[in-house]
Amino acid sequence: MDLEVLIENVLNALAAGITIGCIYGLMCIGLGLIFGIMRIVNFAQGELLMLGMFASLYLVTGGGILAFLGPYAGPFIGALLAGPIVFAGGALLHKFLIARVSGLRTSGSLDEGHFGQLVMTLGISLILQNGGLILFGSTPMTVRTPLASSAIEIGPVYGDATIFLNKARLIACGVAIVTAAGLYVLLEYTRMGKALRAAADNPTAATYMGIDVDRAYRIAFGLGSGITAIAGGLMATYLSFGPFIGLDYVIIMYSGVVLGGMGSILGAFWGGLTVGFVQQCSSLILPPQLQNAAIFVVFLMIMLLRPQGLFGRSAERA
Amino acid sequence: MLEVRNLSVAYGGLRALTDVSLSVKEGQFVTVVGPNGAGKSTLFKTISGVVPPAAGEITFMGQNLFGLTAARRAHLGIAHVPEGRQVFKTLTVRENLEMGAYPKAGRAAWHHTLDRIQTLFPILAERATQMAGTLSGGEQQMVAIGRGLACAPKLLMLDEPSMGLAPAVADTIFERVSQIHREDGVTILLVEQRVAEALELSDHGYVLETGRMVLDGPYETLLRDDRVRK
Repeated sequence: MDLEVLIENVLNALAAGITIGCIYGLMCIGLGLIFGIMRIVNFAQGELLMLGMFASLYLVTGGGILAFLGPYAGPFIGALLAGPIVFAGGALLHKFLIARVSGLRTSGSLDEGHFGQLVMTLGISLILQNGGLILFGSTPMTVRTPLASSAIEIGPVYGDATIFLNKARLIACGVAIVTAAGLYVLLEYTRMGKALRAAADNPTAATYMGIDVDRAYRIAFGLGSGITAIAGGLMATYLSFGPFIGLDYVIIMYSGVVLGGMGSILGAFWGGLTVGFVQQCSSLILPPQLQNAAIFVVFLMIMLLRPQGLFGRSAERA
Repeated sequence: MLEVRNLSVAYGGLRALTDVSLSVKEGQFVTVVGPNGAGKSTLFKTISGVVPPAAGEITFMGQNLFGLTAARRAHLGIAHVPEGRQVFKTLTVRENLEMGAYPKAGRAAWHHTLDRIQTLFPILAERATQMAGTLSGGEQQMVAIGRGLACAPKLLMLDEPSMGLAPAVADTIFERVSQIHREDGVTILLVEQRVAEALELSDHGYVLETGRMVLDGPYETLLRDDRVRK
């Protein structure tokens, strides 16, 4: 009997870890593009996640233009559409502010513009949090879907032990994997994706190739913003959020990106997956308040053993 | 083809180039030699547009370059193989070459030029899927030159391609550059510190010293000059 309960708990924690981990993976890819590949320190990434949540919320609930899609498909299509909206916002943010402290302007300077980026994005983050408070209010919100309160049951697998897969999370997980795969293909195999990577790798040389580096950075920053926003829209279907939710997740994103290895999109995904997995599994033995502490204990252990991250590659010749 | 007239460039308050003029005609092999810090790389960077000019004029095939952004200039058919190679370290060798073919002309001729590049530098075919950052210096230089060729350039500008290479490797590089000039008819503008080898290949040479052109002429004239021999 006790064994059955234990097995059920473990299996459900593993299942939740993988589904939530995939969504975290997508979230981390957004930052992986901005921080891992373009090397822009962005403390406003959590707020991009928050904007994705609210964009999705306003698209699909109440008088939103996607309200006609209903509570089943609506929240997920809303999450996907939050992507292009926040992409546009991110691209504008880059054009008018971030571009001044990154890319060609700071390439080769002592700090590569990181000090400026740190102060600027921290400021942007504060403005977005408090602007969000004015615009959206402080009441916790959620994008309601009946799927969030129903589950697919697998089993019983051992005695009475059954795995419950929350339908909303399961679909969100699927959307996250497909989106992540799409971005991966875009970056690895298309001319535009290769140009973005070239511009991030060596902006001056990219200019010699005829690549408009400012534009490439703008697109990459927009993509990183939009991807995290899609993850936000997906998370909005199963948790309640407010304007300050970004704070909870920005650190998770950084640990995911660093864990996976800087400069690798796949790595960022696996890093995020690991973080989500550890977080969920820690709930087996730790109270919920300590979940984030568990993430960092594992994070520090992995960094100790593998400082370049799980998928980090050193491109320099030794 | 390329005309530089009375060009001056300043970094901050420092004069890097003063009243420099240079002319490259179609099909020519032109070399600029000079000691460290003479402003050779600055000259290239100004032609490419990553360093702004203080005064003067640069035209390429009759078009004033100062009206164009740096990225647009590559699309005119100017390939810049920069000092220190500057390959895309985290991209594969093949992707590096593909990035060279970013301009329209390069894309149109891609299959042909890729063949040609791999004939000139067979090692690049072998290393196609390897990350460029993991290659040796000489191989990276080959990637950099191949990347320059990939845009099907009208003018190939090479900034010290022999820098930091073993003499034998440098000889290979010079041999290939000369081959590109002879067999592909690409106009070449070369900057070098290895004066004798560089001038030997070229139709016309310029000597740059502390930001000024002090001498120019055909190979034979220059080699006889005392200042060059030093």
